[in-house]
Amino acid sequence: MVQFIFDTLFRAADLALIAVALSAVYSLIRFPNVALVQYAVVGAFVGMALQQQGVPIVPAVLLASLLVGGIAQVFNAVIFQRLLRLDPAIALIGSLALSMVLSAGFLLGFGPAAQRFSVQVAPATRVFGVRVTEMQVLTGGLTVAILIAFALLLFRTPLGREMRAVSTNPVLAAATGVNTARVTGLVVFLSGVIAALGGAMLALRGSVSIDMGTNMLLPVFAAAILGGLGNAFGAVFGAIVIAAAETLITNLNFGPIVGQDHVFLPASYAPAASFALLVAVLLFRPRGIFVSEVTRV
Amino acid sequence: MSDFLIHVISVSCIYGILALSLNLQAGFTGLMNFGLIAMFGCGVYGAGLVHRFGLPVALGPALALILAVLMGLFLARLGRRLSTDYWGIATLSIAEIARIFATNLEPLTGGAQGISGLPLLFSGLRPWDGAARLALFAVILGVAWLICERLVRSNFGLGMKLIREEPQLARALGYDIDRIRSTVMVIASVIAAVAGVLYAHYLSFVGPELLLAPETFLIWAMVIIGGIANNRGVIAGAFAMQFMMAYVPFVKDYFALPSDFVAAARLMLSGGVILGFLLLRPQGIFPERVGGRHDH
Amino acid sequence: MKKMIRVLAATSVLATALPAQADVVIGAVLPLSGVNANGGEDQRRGIELAVAQINEAGGVLGEPLKVIYEDSGNVPQRAIDAARKLVSVDGVALVIGEYSSGITIPLGQYLVAEGVPHLNPASTSGLVRGIGATSFSMVGLDNVSTEFAAKDVLDRGWKRVAVLAMNNAFGQGVANEFGAHFAQLGGEVTTTIMYTSGQTTYRRELQQAESTEPDAYVFTAYGADGGLMMQEAYELGLQEDPWYSILITMHNADTPAEFKTGLIGMDVDYTADDTSYKAAYEEAYGQSFQSAWSGYAHDTTLFAAETIERAGSTDRPAVLSAIAELGAEGFTGVTGEIKLDADGQRMWQPYQKLKVEGDALVSHE
Repeated sequence: MVQFIFDTLFRAADLALIAVALSAVYSLIRFPNVALVQYAVVGAFVGMALQQQGVPIVPAVLLASLLVGGIAQVFNAVIFQRLLRLDPAIALIGSLALSMVLSAGFLLGFGPAAQRFSVQVAPATRVFGVRVTEMQVLTGGLTVAILIAFALLLFRTPLGREMRAVSTNPVLAAATGVNTARVTGLVVFLSGVIAALGGAMLALRGSVSIDMGTNMLLPVFAAAILGGLGNAFGAVFGAIVIAAAETLITNLNFGPIVGQDHVFLPASYAPAASFALLVAVLLFRPRGIFVSEVTRV
Repeated sequence: MSDFLIHVISVSCIYGILALSLNLQAGFTGLMNFGLIAMFGCGVYGAGLVHRFGLPVALGPALALILAVLMGLFLARLGRRLSTDYWGIATLSIAEIARIFATNLEPLTGGAQGISGLPLLFSGLRPWDGAARLALFAVILGVAWLICERLVRSNFGLGMKLIREEPQLARALGYDIDRIRSTVMVIASVIAAVAGVLYAHYLSFVGPELLLAPETFLIWAMVIIGGIANNRGVIAGAFAMQFMMAYVPFVKDYFALPSDFVAAARLMLSGGVILGFLLLRPQGIFPERVGGRHDH
Repeated sequence: MKKMIRVLAATSVLATALPAQADVVIGAVLPLSGVNANGGEDQRRGIELAVAQINEAGGVLGEPLKVIYEDSGNVPQRAIDAARKLVSVDGVALVIGEYSSGITIPLGQYLVAEGVPHLNPASTSGLVRGIGATSFSMVGLDNVSTEFAAKDVLDRGWKRVAVLAMNNAFGQGVANEFGAHFAQLGGEVTTTIMYTSGQTTYRRELQQAESTEPDAYVFTAYGADGGLMMQEAYELGLQEDPWYSILITMHNADTPAEFKTGLIGMDVDYTADDTSYKAAYEEAYGQSFQSAWSGYAHDTTLFAAETIERAGSTDRPAVLSAIAELGAEGFTGVTGEIKLDADGQRMWQPYQKLKVEGDALVSHE
């Protein structure tokens, strides 16, 4: 049981940062930006490239995420603002297309093989009978710290109040003197930074290949939609639910039911669990479990 | 040489049929289906399963038809309460679920090894079999085009476009939106499944790799390049994309580029074409004919 | 519309004009992108070395030998498209390919339907046997290798093992064949886990395997997957129990030394008695063998050149009968003697037991 909780939390940590970034940016720019998962890959790859150039790991990751924040702003200005004038659905297609172009860039720039940061790896230690590795604790802790920092920014600073104001009612916010363009630009930048940090955390725990973006796309969306797109911290809850579903389906031993010692569902069904959950939620609660539109300002 | 040209044109015809199917949904009715490949998959696996279990080949299209109708109805049902972008994500998920099951349900689908050795169409007509297949595909593409044209010019087609532009108005005018959506999805799904059956008997192999999500985006690129909501345009788009994809390896040979280039260039082509057209010419090469003729 | 047709016509004329060569040309369809790109690249190296060796010795039929490489992208239909180009545009004498069985089988079936000779340089699934009359394997199939592995594992005293294999044609073949041989020899497979290649983590799969409390873990994995899996097995402490890798060279180069201490395994033997190939490889690429597959691709190319020489032309029926003739007689390459059975499959090949020492693999008898 404890193992199950740990597995769920670590899987949730994989998804949470990118899902929060996706949800935060959706609250201001009303279309689901698929390219965000690719920003995470960019963050991881740029960080690893910097480290190979001799930059120590912490500045490498920070530099990479700031860079991705900038890239996110550029893409938003050059591509998405223009496409949004046509239709949000067109912007969604545009973000899918941008993802493909980015993957092509990764393929040419980094090759098809999976890569990881060069960090010391130590065997797991047992905590409450559960094995955890140093990297898991470290990246898990960092993920929580980043989430808390983002929450403080959103709920405890004047800037955060402006963000929430713009997301709830942009017209009213503009009328009361909020610079909506600046606020939107900042959120786009932050979403890029958070997504890139999410990618870097993944590359610290395991390895990142150019396909990671594609593989993470639907679980991340499932988490964000489950939490109610636009509700940034609903996405954290969504990530935990998705992670629990995935972990449950791979950890359940069906052996006793069919009269054998060990029968597991193939682990490759795990993604199907999260997608099915996503479809079910969309069928029965199309706006997610938490509705974002009523958040207080 | 001509064999290769016949091959590229044959595959272009199949993708032309798929582009027509997507155009019916996304172009005319505004249904942003990112899981089109699952409808194609109904056809591919319909033909594949019939072969795997030793049933008569003729049952392939029948099984494909049943699967396609169910898939169309299910996706339409999902669309009832969802906004366009949410529905797009939902269709993408359905397609991925289908692919995961195709990969893992080994006893049924043959798993990752797929199903090989499907009978090739007209293999008895050698050496004219390639031309015969091409003729068949071209005829079916023509029929699909006729059906699509008739449909969008009918009163029903007016309803489709109204749903795309002004769903509230459509409802006020007495159009049954749910019924129109389901009908469009079923017709489009069947058209895509026909393409799937043809492709399965052309490749003579069926496997989960045929259902990868980027294949859907390739078809999107065809529709966007050709001109969304223009049936002739999307067929031209399908031919243009297929020819570009097919000739990438020649460019590689000519400039002696590394072979990673081919995979990257194909991704870059589908993605870049979509982005470029959306930004610079969102109506595509052949724009929709606004106020087109309607036969009442 | 008219403009479009004109553009299309122009491009196809351009493409017709492109291929012009007087050399003897053969084609190779390899996974040069996708998860198996490292394996494909190693195959390409083997072919390049063979081509250099052949052309230094005067080429084939007095002409230089040329190989056109096409990328399968690890997708069957791309592989078939590539083969179509090789066959109908480049007019190659024969096609070598591919790496994974799931692609070799449809590729081979296409070539058989076209009557083009197909040489399989790597795929070991038992299903390869059924491809057809003009398809030949230069490598022994799974039934032989897994029996060798099952016997080796049991000889080491491990009676209950968990099996992990990638979920594709090759992995499914290995898992089924190994399980059958292992059970027949009196062992027990506690669980068989088919994992999807290319994931960011394999913890779930490893934990499923661990919960069955096996004596040892038997697995097979491609490059980067294997590296990550070994790292996570190390982190999870699963390497307290022995790990045994089937076809260990596929992932050895991608696995850092610290995560594979004590790893043992088996692979096809690619250095039989002759060390000149090893020396040539190391000189050309500045590293030791990345996998077993360069040796097989190398021998496949030598075999192809020899058959074209015997046939006296690149005429396909002549090449086919030369392959049958040479296959029956036997041909010696760096992977030992290549002799084909009635189905055109390699009858016998040497295997070796290997263990990890630092970063390198050494023989372990």
